[in-house]
Order: sequence, then C-alpha cells, then structure tokens
Amino acid sequence: MALLKAVAAKDEASLAQLYDFYRVILFGLLMRILNNRAEAEDVLQEVFLQVWRKAGDFDENRGRPFTWLVTLTRSRGIDRLRTLSARERVAEAGAKEATEAISDAASDAFRSEQRGLVTDALAQLPDEQKRPLMLAYFDGLTQSEIATRLGAPLGTVKTRMRTGLMKLRELLAGKGESFGF
Amino acid sequence: MVHEDYKEMIPARALSALDAVEMRALNEHLEECSECRMELQEWKATAAALAVTANPAEPSPEVRERILNEVRKDLETPQVVPFRSATRNIWTSFGSLGAMAAVILVTALIVGLVVLWRQKREAQVQLATLSGQLETTQKELQRSNEFYQLVTSPGARLKELEGMGQAAGATGKVAYDRNGHAMLIAHGLPKVSAGKEYQLWFIMSGKPPMPGKSFAPDNTGVATAIDEMPDVPLDAVAFAITLEPAGGVPAPTGPMYLRTAQ
Repeated sequence: MALLKAVAAKDEASLAQLYDFYRVILFGLLMRILNNRAEAEDVLQEVFLQVWRKAGDFDENRGRPFTWLVTLTRSRGIDRLRTLSARERVAEAGAKEATEAISDAASDAFRSEQRGLVTDALAQLPDEQKRPLMLAYFDGLTQSEIATRLGAPLGTVKTRMRTGLMKLRELLAGKGESFGF
Repeated sequence: MVHEDYKEMIPARALSALDAVEMRALNEHLEECSECRMELQEWKATAAALAVTANPAEPSPEVRERILNEVRKDLETPQVVPFRSATRNIWTSFGSLGAMAAVILVTALIVGLVVLWRQKREAQVQLATLSGQLETTQKELQRSNEFYQLVTSPGARLKELEGMGQAAGATGKVAYDRNGHAMLIAHGLPKVSAGKEYQLWFIMSGKPPMPGKSFAPDNTGVATAIDEMPDVPLDAVAFAITLEPAGGVPAPTGPMYLRTAQ
C-alpha cells in the first residue's frame, strides 16, 4: 500500500492521512477492548507512533495493511487491558454491557458495508462457536480461561473456536475485495 | 507433535488464545515451517475482520495533534542559518549577480554538507545496530548449534522448565546426553543485581539438591549454562534454578525461578 510506504519514508502527511482513514475503526476496537476513553486514546497514540517507526516492517506479501494495523492495535489494546487492575475491570464490566446496548442502536448510521458483512456472517454462527471467538478477540482470554468462563471442557472450547473461525472464513471468502479497506 | 497437530492450533494462535505451553511449541514450529507461517497470516486476516464488529468511535482531536507533534519532534533536522539580506539592492549592478551566484553556491554547499552529514550519521547508527544484531545472531546460532548437537546425540533427553513466582513468564530447557553432559537455555529470567547469579540444581527425590553451575543472563535476557551432571539416574532427575550469591553455593538459599515442568 502506497500510504504505508510513504509513512516508512517518514512522510508526515501520509501518517496523518492514514490516521484519518483508520482512526474511527481502530479507536472503536480499542474502546471495545478497554471500555475507557483515556486508556483507548493513549493506546491509539502508541499504535500510530509505532506505525511511524515500524511502517518499514510491513510486508505487503504477508497480508493487507488493514490486517497489519488491526492486529497491531488489538495486540496493544489487550496488553493494556492486562496491565489494568482486576478491580477496575470488574467495576467497568457492568458499564460495558450497557454501553454496547446503547451504541448498537445508535451506530446504525455508521454501519459500513464491511461491518454488515462480518456481523451477518457472525449471526450465522451458533452462539457456542461465536462466544469463544469474541472472548478471545476482545477480552484477550486464552482457551483455558474461556473454558473456565463458560464452564465447558477445554477440548470442546478448542473445537468450537476452530470451527467458528473456519466458518467465518468460509462466509467471508470471496468478499475479500469489498472487505479490503 | 507433528505438522498436522500444529496446523490445527493455528486458528487459535491467530486469536492469540493459545495457552503458554502450546504457544511456545507452535512458535518454535513456525520458525521452521513456512507453510504454517503463511497459513497463520490468512487466519490473522479472518480474525482481524472481527474488529469491524466493534462500534466505530471517534477519538478526540487532541490525539491526532499529539501524534503529529511527536512525529514532528522526530523529524527535527539541523537548521541552516539564513543569510542576512544585503543592505543594497543587488539587482542594480552587474557585479552583484556574481555575489548572488556565490550566495546560491554557498547555500547549496551548506545544504549539501548537512544532507551528507545526516546520511553519514544515519549510516553510522545503522551500522552499529546491524553489527550488534549480527553479534547477537551469531551467539544465538552458536548456542542453538550446541543445543541441537546435544539433543540429537544418542540417548539424549530434553526437559522443559517452567517459570515460578517473580519469573512466571520465564521458560527453560535442559538437554543432556547419556554421559551426563547437560546444557541449559533459559529465556525471560530477570536481570541479576551485582553480586548475584542464577544457579542450576539437580534434584533427586529423597536427597538434598545437588549444586550445578551459576550463570547470568546476557543482554537479550537469554541465559545458557553447560554443566556435567552428578551421578544420578538420568530419567529420574529434575532441575531447578534459584537466585544465589555470585559463584554459587553448596545448598540453595534463594528463591526458585525455574523448575522442571510438572
């Protein structure tokens, strides 16, 4: 992607452009993970400064810029989540559910085609396959932690997670171009 | 585990949901299997699609400013001091064209020098970084070779060590052959303060721990130690690492950092 190459060549305007293009989706992801505006903004800043320093590491043969940016952001977000104290997380758990319910209704206006594709695909997954995926992705839980959380045997969680992600991949297959950002 | 077992673990790895032991095993496999590395990239793309299900949200405008301010600091370059403007109108005389040409020439020279100076400085920094990386890589290669030779020798055994207490994230492996020649590689041990070192122990149930060599991790957090094991049944021995006074002690006194995985 030309924009990332320009960022790697230390072009400030290209970084600003990249930020303007991805900020809403990446900040949404961080808010979902951290549920705390100040923390999410701090991590978003870290992410883009890392992009500034490491854009040269991006290898277009190994994936799309979207995947690279989202993977980096999610990983930084989960790292931050783990450093927050358990007390804070428990206190915010209730608030998180409520926020999601409200903003789901309010966010219809923002719903992009891509978002629709993925949510439609996820809707076709049985809950027992979807929950392990969401707990791993947004809460950073490992398979053992998910098994404990859901009260399911570890082997079952492993199978459901694998099956769920495989199914998601099949459902999104062929929609890659429109999904390419 | 075989290739197919690792392949099954890749979707969970893309969600970074593997437990530590599986994660380490798969990461080692990924280092040598390009097919699995490619597959991981594909699964990561699928996992990344989950991000768009989060509600879009708008960060405050200050975040953009903070990022760009940091970037500008990074871009700060040596300033070229501008020449003072001439006190008389240089366009009025033919001779002043020469002066203007000289000004342009000198300015170009200064700019050129600054550019060259920056390039040289960057090249020096890169060279130093690369030399450091090369040295580290050579050390790692040498260590891996020694370890590999030991593991592949006849009758060799390999035991995993797991981190404890303050070093819960640390890992280690001890490889040893039937002659009791042993090599330890540990990752993630905390740095030691002056006068302290880690020490390897050989443990047989019902006997006091037998002391092994003491050692300290290198700059990259990797520690290695080569030792000869005491005369113990090779299948029944366990290992532990404690923090002790530098040079080692005959019986453990400090906290345990690694021990044979249960």
